[in-house]
Amino acid sequence: MEAVVPKLASFNLLNPKSKSKSAIRRFSSALCVSSSPSVTSTDSVSLGHITRPDFPILHQEVYGSKKLVYLDNAATSQKPIAVLKALQNYYEAYNSNVHRGIHFLSAKATDEYELARKKVAAFINASDSGEIVFTKNATEAINLVAYSWGLSNLKSGDEVILTVAEHHSAIVPWQLVAQKTGANLKFLNLNDDESPDLDKLKEMLSRKTKLVVIHHISNMLASILPIEEIVHWSHDVGAKVLVDACQSVPHMVVDVQGLDADFLVASSHKMCGPTGIGFLFGKSDLLSAMPPFLGGGEMISDVFLDHSTFADPPSRFEAGTPAIGEAIGLGAAIDYLSTIGMQKIHAYEMELAKYLYENLLSIPNIRIYGPKPSEHVQRAALCSFNVENIHPTDIATLLDQQYGVAIRSGHHCAQPLHRYLGVNASARASLHFYNTKEDVDEFIHALNETVSFFNVFK
Amino acid sequence: MASSSISSCLRLFTTRSFLSPKPRKNLSFFYKPTSFAKNPLSKSLVAVSSSTSTSPIQPVEDLPPKLQEIVQLFQSVQEPKAKYEQLLFYGKSLKPLDTRFKTRENKVEGCVSQVWVRAYLDDQKNVVYEADSDSVLTKGLAALLVQGLSNRPVEEIVKVTPDFVVLLGLQQSLTPSRNNGFLNMLKLMQKKAVELVFESEKAGGSVEGSNLGSKNSKNLTLERKGDGVGGLESKVESSSQVGSGKNLTLEMEGDSGAGDNGSNSGGLGSRGMRIRDKLEKELRPVVLEVEDISYQHAGHAGVRGSDGETHFNVKIVSKEFEGKSLVKRHRLIYDLLQEELQNGLHALSIVARTPSEV
Repeated sequence: MEAVVPKLASFNLLNPKSKSKSAIRRFSSALCVSSSPSVTSTDSVSLGHITRPDFPILHQEVYGSKKLVYLDNAATSQKPIAVLKALQNYYEAYNSNVHRGIHFLSAKATDEYELARKKVAAFINASDSGEIVFTKNATEAINLVAYSWGLSNLKSGDEVILTVAEHHSAIVPWQLVAQKTGANLKFLNLNDDESPDLDKLKEMLSRKTKLVVIHHISNMLASILPIEEIVHWSHDVGAKVLVDACQSVPHMVVDVQGLDADFLVASSHKMCGPTGIGFLFGKSDLLSAMPPFLGGGEMISDVFLDHSTFADPPSRFEAGTPAIGEAIGLGAAIDYLSTIGMQKIHAYEMELAKYLYENLLSIPNIRIYGPKPSEHVQRAALCSFNVENIHPTDIATLLDQQYGVAIRSGHHCAQPLHRYLGVNASARASLHFYNTKEDVDEFIHALNETVSFFNVFK
Repeated sequence: MASSSISSCLRLFTTRSFLSPKPRKNLSFFYKPTSFAKNPLSKSLVAVSSSTSTSPIQPVEDLPPKLQEIVQLFQSVQEPKAKYEQLLFYGKSLKPLDTRFKTRENKVEGCVSQVWVRAYLDDQKNVVYEADSDSVLTKGLAALLVQGLSNRPVEEIVKVTPDFVVLLGLQQSLTPSRNNGFLNMLKLMQKKAVELVFESEKAGGSVEGSNLGSKNSKNLTLERKGDGVGGLESKVESSSQVGSGKNLTLEMEGDSGAGDNGSNSGGLGSRGMRIRDKLEKELRPVVLEVEDISYQHAGHAGVRGSDGETHFNVKIVSKEFEGKSLVKRHRLIYDLLQEELQNGLHALSIVARTPSEV
């Protein structure tokens, strides 16, 4: 399904420095007609160039005069006009509570909400939309599994395997549940290539292991794990697998049936959707056996004074009025991504990843974390790094103030990983398909000057 | 954009400032750095405010004299990059803080970078500050405070609000999170000043501030310089924690035993001693610091059933680490302490460096 972008728009695409507001308005109106981007790309115009006009927020200057270069996508992604429009349209045309009413607006809202659920299911190739539970975000989804599945399936002596590189949201809920159940958490270390040690994982798996909680792509190391194999080994010992796909679903094809994952979580705001919505994928038989997490309306069947009966999944786990507009916005984001094609996005981002890594290596005294890319080892399009003798916060501050380049500095919600690597903090640049090679060039240029500035002061 | 970021920062200051300035009706106005009208009558700056903040900021005259000087200096420098350079120059003026003062009580909360502030009273009962940070921009900010507040009477120090950072015009160049750290730095310095004075009134001697205000307050902090111990400086700092009284850290300088950089050996239980001995024997470290931080984890599943001594911080500098990756260094240490790990040692937080890396 290709949309045609008027010739005028593509002319402006080749001149990215053009910042005139009227040009932007012309883009917007052109894109109103077809809210999906052209997918034809030529050698001189990359996917980044083609899609940039769809993201109004990228076309601005910060601190008066500096063009924004947004490289903090692992923290959150930007939203295309299509998603903004879907949100606005929901509230303007058919906002109404779902599942409860009979009237026209309510029926429409319910239809669109459930359609969004179907879109999510199709996007990750779940066999049934009933396997998708909408949550506030991935963190809530993990908590759902921890409190609902974890509390009723883990007992003293059971083991849950995680890695030292997990995000706090994948660690803390399990610490809380382990305390309550007496289960033990075991942490997989990294190998010499700074990627989770999969050989060690095979050794750690045992009949005691009930669950493996593991990231698909690390938000700091950029490692990409072979989830299919990990699930295979885990199932062999009778353990379930919860995949944290927050950094993978937005950037590549994720097929839960192909992976045979038991649980998978992701957040909408990292995949060009609005904040406030995320989802848990769980295999039907698993969800059916799980007790409720939050109690309230929607998740019940009958309510008496002294007890209640509960709905089937996914409703069982969706208490209260959901983030309806946001779910629909997520649906629109999925439409947008699907129109481009996740394979295309992935291929382009792999190119960018290589370009970023190679250019970063040219910075003197830089240390990039995670595995070295090679023929067999791919990295995601992000790099966490430190420059010797310069604090990452200093770098990030100057990059922001003097050059308009937005990166992140801190522990990226991975304190255990930083402790493991022996650092307090790191800087991180992370890309998405609407970034271009020019963005990387500007970043590298700014970084070089920033490093020089601080080195002079030593 | 400038005014909105300033206003958000002011809201940050006014809601979180724990020593709020007395409200002033007429003199103080909101400063907008790009344009202002000079008011010949008052040093404070008049500007058009487009923010919703209604609290006035502290006038410059209320600041300690050195701080007023600093404010004026920064105001005379217009260009952001030059302001940074100025800030970094200030940072350079700070001499590095001795490792033994980089303690938990001296660490500033809420900073992405590490910042420590030390305070003590000089002979005239003035508060003297020292500070350090691994981030040079933060060090610059710390230097401003150290220079601005040192050698001033406590009453003056506690009256200072973070407002003046707005006057520096740096605020525009600093992210809110950095400002938050700045606010906490100031608060810590003020808290220490108050503590020092309180201690000094109690003990009637020269003291070093530490952790006040917890239930089992054992605040013995004495600093005897070169008296009778052959020119050595010994410092006893005890920080009190709920429950366990195991945290007496005794720091001796330059005496017998491994390490010449303040090794904490007093107060460790048997496991702590075993860890020290093992690491000393096998790794012949140049620096070895072993700190029992089990109190922080009291009540956790891993601690229950053991008699404390479950969590340790280990800092070790040894030639044995040369040529080894961080992962290998940590593995080496874990291997050496296998027995302890299997018998109730729950966690180690390790900093492992070679002598050339320090």
